[in-house]
Amino acid sequence: MSTKRNSLSAIALVVGASLVLSACGGGSSDNGGSTGAQEPTGDIASMAIAKGESGDEYTSPEVPQSTDTFVVSTDNPYTAYNNSAADANNSYNTFALAQVISGAYKLDGNNKVLLNKDVMESVEITSKSPQVVTWKIKPGVTWSDGEAWDCDDFYLAWLSSTGKSKGADGKDIFTSANTTGYELIDKVECPSQTEVVTTFGTSYPDYKGLFGISLDIMPAHILEKATGVADVTKLTPTGGDQVALGKVAEFWKTKWNGFDKELMPASGAYQITAFEQNNSVTLERNPKWVGKPGGPAKIVLRGISDQVAQAQALENGEVQVNSMAQPDANAAERLRGLSSQGVRFGASNGLSFEHMDLNFKNKWFADQAVRKAFMQCVNRDELAEKLIRPVLENAKPLGSLVFFQAEEGYTDNYAQYKGDAAAAKSTLEGAGYTIGGDGIATKGGEKVSIKISHTDIPRRKQTVELIQSQCKPAGLEIIDDTDPNFLDTRVSQGDYDVALFAWSAAPFKSSQKAIYETGGGQNWSNYANPKVDAAYKDASSNLDEAASRKAFQDADRLMAEDNYSLPLYQLPNMWAFKGIDKVYFQSYNGALWNANEWVKTS
Amino acid sequence: MPSDPALNPLGATGLPPAGTVAVATASEFDTTKARKQSTLVLRRFFRHRLAVAALVVFLLICAIGFLGPLFWTVSVEDTSSRGYLPPSAAHPLGTIQTGKDMLAQLIIGTRLSVQIALVVAIGSTLVGVLLGALAGYLRGAVDSTISRFVDLMLIIPQIAVAAILVRALSGSWYTVAFILAAFGWMTIARITRGETLSLAQREFVEAARAAGAKTRWIIFRHLVPNMIGTITVNTTLAVASAVLSEAALSFIGLGVQPPDTSLGLIINENYSQITNRPWLFWGPFVIIVLLSLAVNFIGDGLRDAFDPRQTKVRA
Amino acid sequence: MIRYIIRRLLISVPILAVGSLFAFFLVAAAGNPVAELKAKPGVTAQQIRDLESSLGLDQPIIVRYWKWLLDFLQGDWGKSIALGQAKVDVFESVMRALWITARLVVGAELLAIVLGVSVGVLAAVKQYSIFDYLATSSAFLMFSMPIVCVAVILKTYGIKFNNLLESLGMDRWLSTVSPAAGGFQGSFSEVIFKYTGTYLLPTLSLTLISFAAYSRFQRASMLETLNSDYVRTARAKGISQRRVIFRHAFRNALIPVSTLFSINSAALFSGAIITETVFGWKGMGNLLVQSIRTFDPYMLMGWLMVTATLVIVFNLVADIMYGFLDPRIRLA
Repeated sequence: MSTKRNSLSAIALVVGASLVLSACGGGSSDNGGSTGAQEPTGDIASMAIAKGESGDEYTSPEVPQSTDTFVVSTDNPYTAYNNSAADANNSYNTFALAQVISGAYKLDGNNKVLLNKDVMESVEITSKSPQVVTWKIKPGVTWSDGEAWDCDDFYLAWLSSTGKSKGADGKDIFTSANTTGYELIDKVECPSQTEVVTTFGTSYPDYKGLFGISLDIMPAHILEKATGVADVTKLTPTGGDQVALGKVAEFWKTKWNGFDKELMPASGAYQITAFEQNNSVTLERNPKWVGKPGGPAKIVLRGISDQVAQAQALENGEVQVNSMAQPDANAAERLRGLSSQGVRFGASNGLSFEHMDLNFKNKWFADQAVRKAFMQCVNRDELAEKLIRPVLENAKPLGSLVFFQAEEGYTDNYAQYKGDAAAAKSTLEGAGYTIGGDGIATKGGEKVSIKISHTDIPRRKQTVELIQSQCKPAGLEIIDDTDPNFLDTRVSQGDYDVALFAWSAAPFKSSQKAIYETGGGQNWSNYANPKVDAAYKDASSNLDEAASRKAFQDADRLMAEDNYSLPLYQLPNMWAFKGIDKVYFQSYNGALWNANEWVKTS
Repeated sequence: MPSDPALNPLGATGLPPAGTVAVATASEFDTTKARKQSTLVLRRFFRHRLAVAALVVFLLICAIGFLGPLFWTVSVEDTSSRGYLPPSAAHPLGTIQTGKDMLAQLIIGTRLSVQIALVVAIGSTLVGVLLGALAGYLRGAVDSTISRFVDLMLIIPQIAVAAILVRALSGSWYTVAFILAAFGWMTIARITRGETLSLAQREFVEAARAAGAKTRWIIFRHLVPNMIGTITVNTTLAVASAVLSEAALSFIGLGVQPPDTSLGLIINENYSQITNRPWLFWGPFVIIVLLSLAVNFIGDGLRDAFDPRQTKVRA
Repeated sequence: MIRYIIRRLLISVPILAVGSLFAFFLVAAAGNPVAELKAKPGVTAQQIRDLESSLGLDQPIIVRYWKWLLDFLQGDWGKSIALGQAKVDVFESVMRALWITARLVVGAELLAIVLGVSVGVLAAVKQYSIFDYLATSSAFLMFSMPIVCVAVILKTYGIKFNNLLESLGMDRWLSTVSPAAGGFQGSFSEVIFKYTGTYLLPTLSLTLISFAAYSRFQRASMLETLNSDYVRTARAKGISQRRVIFRHAFRNALIPVSTLFSINSAALFSGAIITETVFGWKGMGNLLVQSIRTFDPYMLMGWLMVTATLVIVFNLVADIMYGFLDPRIRLA
């Protein structure tokens, strides 16, 4: 499964929006990492925890400042400083910017949410109805050009991403990649430079994902200077000075591409010092960083699109760290084989999952028996065994549409579907289908024939090949429908029997509403269950964590009972390194999230 | 990589630059003489030991591809085994990632690669000869139209168009073959045009024309038989270059796509196993090299057989 | 002569126009670059429409082509519309890629031609010697090798070679990926060491196959001239063997090779695709594959215009060289 053929999907979209942070927190740490016996020392899974982590807070720890240069490779190169601009948005920008731009919160390797105490005093809900959140910035935090990192910058983040600023043609003038949560904020106020007060129109339990995790805080002073707009906090998403707003939007979406030293200062531990388009970006320690400095003097982040080539470069000593958001069995195997040379390999579940949606508009799938039989014959464990375990040895089939495996609240709702063709066959026979002489189930003289539609990614083709063999004995004829344009036009028109693809965003659970509620914008399969609608409505606005989680679990269980969509597995991330003490691939922020803590070991 | 038969140094014809005329080596057409010529050619070819050996290798490879499934009955779709099994009696070349039998894969891949190469060679020869002969015989507006068309097709690198079209259409073996043929006929057209230009001046063609023969008749009964040597050799060489073009295209993932397979695609899927499971890499590699080597030697032998004058020089 | 060149170039213009139209339609019609956004929960249809409109995707293909053509004629090559590419400038990207490929190809081609021509001449002069058989069989073999396999094998054994060097206490030499930003630093010998290490493997994999072509071509055409009447006459006149070979035969035997060189060079600029893929160089080959895969017609147009121009120019050069080397051919 070479990835030269699927690098389109390698533009995994940045984890949109925020997370149900509360639910993510404190996930068990045994979900990731190869814990093979050949590990020289320690356990890779424990590297998910940052050195500077303490409770729910993070402070840069005291680590030796080395003079080394580390070369880190990842699938695609960095392209833009403002990763929220829709045409620039991709995870690989986040991977580079994780050390460059500070936010209110950050995530550790287990996606535990940590308050960034290097730059923040506190974040508190100061009112529940309406929800008001007050963000207090530590005094003295600056950008690398010496300007204060303050409320203006937060204000600009909100201003750019409400999705409400429309031009004369009715189109969003910012086209932010990420409006979730920001569109619910009615106003942002700056009582002082170091205090930000956000008032929500609708309750939003995921507020911790704002201003940092879901969206990078850009330097407002640079934009003000360049556009001649004296103070962005005087502007509002709608109404107000439209001319100035237009100038701000234009600068925001076009001028922060690539790298320009004057326009792109750093607010994190590292600053960008060099950039070679389509190849690499160089980071060096930020002398104005307020936290404790540490880590390598220089980090070069390179894009190498072929995973096997990444592994070979590590083997050959040209790079010190590999980080791959796209799993590749061949590269994984190669990297595991290098343990005797001191290379350590890790893999962990990433934040997108492969699934199959069954279309209720299809005449066979209108019958729940056929949906059930289909789910019964698919052997998800074999899929995981052949496609995922070569990368992540302890991968298990995913048992939920709502939660990831390590999350609090996860229950396996699909445990009964184990690839039992005989059971599938009897389900069909019990519902009045007869198995014909050619071994295919028929009803009313018609053969039950099901097309699985997907884009041309090798792994998906392999998935369908395997399912074809698995479901044949059950009497279901499976047809492979590979269409590079499947996601473009067909999926949103509901033009499929079974849609095989991955939801590539984070568990921002309130955005799931659009997928599963009746008539939802991304509910292309005509799925409708009023009880699920009610559960989602409750879950995505309830500020009580436990109650919200319970409602999500209800929705999850109800959907499983309806045999609507079969989750297959989570797609793993993988990484490898040599000569560094602790490296972990953070599923949102890539390998550099804790680079300020790296210590050279040999 | 020169995927253009004109760039094939093993080719019979040199490289006629645009606008210049290739030297024709035709003998005049006559039925009895032609029969004699074909016997002669065959006899000369079979005296060329290397070429005969190459022919045997080529036929063997074809036999593996086309008759292999009769002897090796493991289904190519059977995924019930574990992935990446080492070679054993049940799987002489082990299994690939999804648990499919490598030997069965290799047999199908060989067959489809040979099919692609043959379709490309024959297709591009047909189109090239037809257009080249038309241009050379009719001249004037037809000639310049065809020549400009050839120029247009030569401007865009074949591998690029093929990649674009595979992305736009599909990656089944026949699409790939059709596309490679559709963008691989230009050299043959140029060579044929050159030969036709010189043949059309000969008395026997003029006599036929004077007798009122139709264009179609003249081209197929008089011109083509006299160019058969050049055409055959170039067709052979086109087979070799099609094998390599297909491999290149499939390697970058813009060639044959599953569920079809080909030697190039098998290499794409298994190249990184070169050290861990060498049999997965070297199997398809050896077949590709043997295939293209054999065809090149056959071409060499054919060229010598058709053109004994040159044989003195070379062999 | 100048008139001939101008006429040839003018003929190419409509050909380029037709070629670009064809390629633009194919790529633009093949797929939508923003389709992947649909697999991101919570992205509304409106957001996708707004993005499409900001990238110009809401307009019919013919209108987009026409706009591209007008801009192109005014020197604006447009911007990438691939997702995540931040509308990077096409002209800059293509030129950067061309420069990267040029660095690889020029060295490889020169090496191939020098080696190929010398081996070809030697093999022809010493026809049927062991050297000839060796040269001939290795050329046949290399010519029949898929470049993919050559590159993969070189890379695998390059790493093993480095391991060997290291076990002997030396520095690792050969690299398997393109050079990182910033060039090479250190003393002169260190720079040479790093430079050769970076370029050796990809250059070699490009050289080997071109070398096969040159040596075969040179041998065949050398044999032909050595057996031609004027060379035999020269010999009969008692001119020394060396002089016959270099003054009379060599020059004429170079004609077909020079043509091969021009055409091969143009092909190499686009044809280093495989080598670039295996060795992770972000040159023209990489650019082609990426722009096809991400349905990025503007980037592809830039690529196409540059390679097509190269093909035209190199073909022209081939014909002109032909004229210089062979007085019998006159360009009209």
